[in-house]
Amino acid sequence: MKRIIPIALACLWLAACTTTSTRVANKDGPKPPAGSQVLMLEPDVQLGLLTASGVTDPRADWSKAAKDNLTREIEAQLKTRAHGFKMIDPEGMMQGRTGQLLRLNGAVGQSIILFNYSGLSLPTKGKDFDWTLGEGVRELGAQHGAQYALFVNANGNYASGGRVAATIGMAMLGVSLPMGQQQVLASLVDLKSGKVVWFNVAIAGPNADMREPEGAKSLTASLLKDIPL
Amino acid sequence: MFRGRAQAMGAVAATALVAATPALSAPRPPGLKPAVDSVEAGLWDLMDKAEREARQKAELNTDAALNAYVRDVICKVATEYCGDVRLYVMDRPFFNATMAPNGYSEVWSGLLLRCEDESELALVLSHEVTHFSENHSIEAHEADKRRRNATMVVAMGIAVVGTVAAAGSANPQSAQSIMDATSSLIDVVYLASISSYFRFSREHETEADIVGLRRMAAAGYSPQAGGTLWRGLIAETTTSDFKRVREQDTRLGIFDSHPLSPLRAEALDAEAAKLPAPTRVAANRHRAAIRPFLAAWLKDDLRRRDFGQTLHTIDRLSKAKEDLGVLNFYRGEALRQRGKAGDLANAALAYQAATEQADAPPAAWRELGEARRRTGDAAGAKAALATYLSRAPEADDAWMVRETLDALSKGD
Amino acid sequence: MRILRPLLAAAAVLALAACETIPKAPAGPYKAGASQVTLGRDWSDVSVLLAGGLKKVKVLSIDGPILNRLYITDGLAVGESLVKSPSKERPTPKLRAGMNSSERMEFVADSIAAMGYQRVETMKPRPAKFGEQQAVRFDITARTEDGLDVQGTALASEAAGKTAFVLFLAPAEHYFQASLPEVEKVMASARPAG
Ligand SMILES: [Zn+2]
Repeated sequence: MKRIIPIALACLWLAACTTTSTRVANKDGPKPPAGSQVLMLEPDVQLGLLTASGVTDPRADWSKAAKDNLTREIEAQLKTRAHGFKMIDPEGMMQGRTGQLLRLNGAVGQSIILFNYSGLSLPTKGKDFDWTLGEGVRELGAQHGAQYALFVNANGNYASGGRVAATIGMAMLGVSLPMGQQQVLASLVDLKSGKVVWFNVAIAGPNADMREPEGAKSLTASLLKDIPL
Repeated sequence: MFRGRAQAMGAVAATALVAATPALSAPRPPGLKPAVDSVEAGLWDLMDKAEREARQKAELNTDAALNAYVRDVICKVATEYCGDVRLYVMDRPFFNATMAPNGYSEVWSGLLLRCEDESELALVLSHEVTHFSENHSIEAHEADKRRRNATMVVAMGIAVVGTVAAAGSANPQSAQSIMDATSSLIDVVYLASISSYFRFSREHETEADIVGLRRMAAAGYSPQAGGTLWRGLIAETTTSDFKRVREQDTRLGIFDSHPLSPLRAEALDAEAAKLPAPTRVAANRHRAAIRPFLAAWLKDDLRRRDFGQTLHTIDRLSKAKEDLGVLNFYRGEALRQRGKAGDLANAALAYQAATEQADAPPAAWRELGEARRRTGDAAGAKAALATYLSRAPEADDAWMVRETLDALSKGD
Repeated sequence: MRILRPLLAAAAVLALAACETIPKAPAGPYKAGASQVTLGRDWSDVSVLLAGGLKKVKVLSIDGPILNRLYITDGLAVGESLVKSPSKERPTPKLRAGMNSSERMEFVADSIAAMGYQRVETMKPRPAKFGEQQAVRFDITARTEDGLDVQGTALASEAAGKTAFVLFLAPAEHYFQASLPEVEKVMASARPAG
C-alpha cells in the first residue's frame, strides 16, 4: 500500500497529470487498415465515495455516468481514426465457447498484471510483451464481424471532504491515509492471431474526472494515446 | 467467495470500541427501487455486479427441479417479497444463505444437505428474508461506518494487515487466490464494504430469528424447526476433527458476527410455543428435492476433510432410513479417507451395508473389495471385486480392479 | 463481470511480490529431489509462488501459474502433501500408507480441489511407466471458480513407500493443447534420479 501513496500524492502535486503505463506487443508493427471493426465489451465501471472513516459508499449514479462518458468518448476517438465500433454486453455471451474466451481473457489480464505490472518477472516471458488467447478468438471475430476486441475496466473512489480533512490531519501526525484514486485498465486483442496487442493502465489525474464529459474526454485521450489502431 | 476475507473483517470488528445500536426501522415496501443518487442505490449496483458474477460461477447449480423447490420455499415465507427475490443455488459445502438488498439471494448446498426437512429450510430462508425486509444490510453498512469513524486509525492499520493475512491464509496454490491476492490487496475498501453489508448486529440477528420464525409459522411451517436446526448445527460443531472449530461458536453463515448460542435456540423454542401448530406436513419433499445431489454434495463435503462433521451429517441424514446405499457408501469413504485405527474395518462394514441397498453405487463393491483385501479377507475381497466388474463392466478403472483380482488369485 | 477484475495500482502487488525472484528452469534435465525429467524447452520455476514452502514439490510454468502449471514432485512419503495446508483447520490431502492407484488418483483430484479449482474429475486411467516403475496416467477436468474450463493430465508412481507425481493443468481453451506435446515428452522422460 505504501507505494501507492507517493504516486497518488505526486500526481496530485503535479496537478494535471493522468499517468499511463502501456505495454505493446509489436511497437513497429503495421497499423490496421482504416475501417477495421473494433468490438468493445461494455466497460465495467465501479466508483464510490471514500468517506472519512475509510469505508467506500458505492455510487451507482457515478458508475453509470462514467460508463456512459467513457463509452461515448472511446467510440468518438476510435471513429476519428476511421475505425468501426460496436459495443456488446458480455452478460449474454458467457455460455459456450465465447464465454470461455472471455474468461480466458480475464485470466490473461490477471497474468499481465502479475508479470508486467508488479515487478515480478517471468523468465519465459523475457522483455517482450507476448500474451495470447489463442486462435479460438477467431470465432468471436467471425460472430461480430470484428478484427479487434477492446476491454475496458474502470474502478476507484473519490475522497469526500471529510476524508480529505482526515488525511491532512493524519498526515500532520505522520500517518498516511489513502486518498481517493481512480484507474482505468484497457486491453486490445487481435481477433485473428489471438494476441494481446496493447495493454494500458491509466491513473486519472484531477482534470480527468470520468464522471464529467470533459474529464472523460481527457482521460480517454490519455488512455488511448498509443493504442495501435 | 468471501470466506477468507470474512475472517479478516472479523479482526476489524473485534477492534471496534464503540458499537452503535441502530434503531429498527419500518419494513421496506415490496418492489422497492432506491433513488439513483442514494447510498442504497450504490449498494444495489454493487450487488447487481456481484450477482452477474455469481451467474457465471463454476459452483452454480442450474438444476431446474432443485431451483424450483428452493424458490417455492422462499416464496412461501417471503410472501409479498417473492417477486423481489432472485435465487442462486451454489454447490458449496458450507452452511450459508444470503439475501442482498437488491434481491440477489444465494443458498449453498452445505445448507440444503443439513436441513432435515422443508420446515428447517423455511426457517433459514425466513431468517434471511427478515434481514432483507427490515433493511438490515444498509443499517449494517451505516453502523460499520460509525464504528470505523470511532476507531479509524486502528481500523485502517488492521484492515490492511487483515487483508494481507486473508490473502496469505487463502490457499497459496489456488489460481483464484493469486487473482485475489492481486486484487484484494488493492480492492481492500471495495471488498470490506461488501462484507460489511452482511455483518449484522446482535439486535438484527435476534430480530431475524424471531420475526423470521413468525413468518415461517404464518406460512404453515413447523416453528419447532428453529430450535431443532440450531441445536443440530451446534451439535455438528462439537463433532469436528479440529479443536479450534469445536471450541468456536457455531455460526449461521460465513459472514455472521454473532454466534448461534444455545440461548438463541431457547429463545426460538419459547417463541415457537406461542405460535400456531403447523399446517404443512411435507417431510419428504425436502429429501426428494436433494436426493439427486446427495452423492455429489457428500463428495464435496469430504473435500473439507473434517471427517467428524461429515460423519455426523451422514448420521443425521440416515435417520430417515432412506438413501442408505449412498449414505453408507459415503460413510465408508469418510472412514477410509480418515484412516484412523479401526476405521478401515468400520469402512468395510459401511460399504457392506451400502451393497445391501438398492441405491448402492457400483463403487461400493470395489471399495468393499479393497477394504476386505486390506483387512486380510482375500475370498471376500475377490467376491466383491468380481461383483464390481459385473456391475460396471465398462468402468474405465476395470483394468485396475482386474489387476488386483489377479494378484489376489496368485496369492492363494 | 470479472472480465478484467478491478485492479488499482499495480504498485500494491509489488509490496507482496517484489522480494521474490522466479528462476529459469532451462531446457534439459530437471530434478525434483529423487525425481528427474527432461524439459524440451525453457520453463519458469514458480515454486516460490506456488509450493508454499513444500520442499519436495516443484512447480514450473511458461505463461504464469494461472495459464499453465506443471507440478513435479520428489518421492512423497506417507503424511506428505502436494498442496500446502493454509491452516490446521483447512487440511489438504495427505498420502496414506498402502494406497492403491485409484486412491492416488483421488489424492491428486482432492489436491487440485484444495488448490481452489471446482468440479474436479479424473478419468481414463491407463497403465504407464515412471522410468522402470509401474505408474498410472490419467486425465483431469476442472473449472476455476470463475467458470474457466481447465484440463489436466497426471502421472503417479509409487515405489518403496515413496510416491512421485507429474501433474499438468491449463485452461482448456488454447493453453492445454498448446503445451501438451511438451508435457507428453516431459512425462515420458520422468524417472527416479540416478
Ligand atoms: Zn442472520
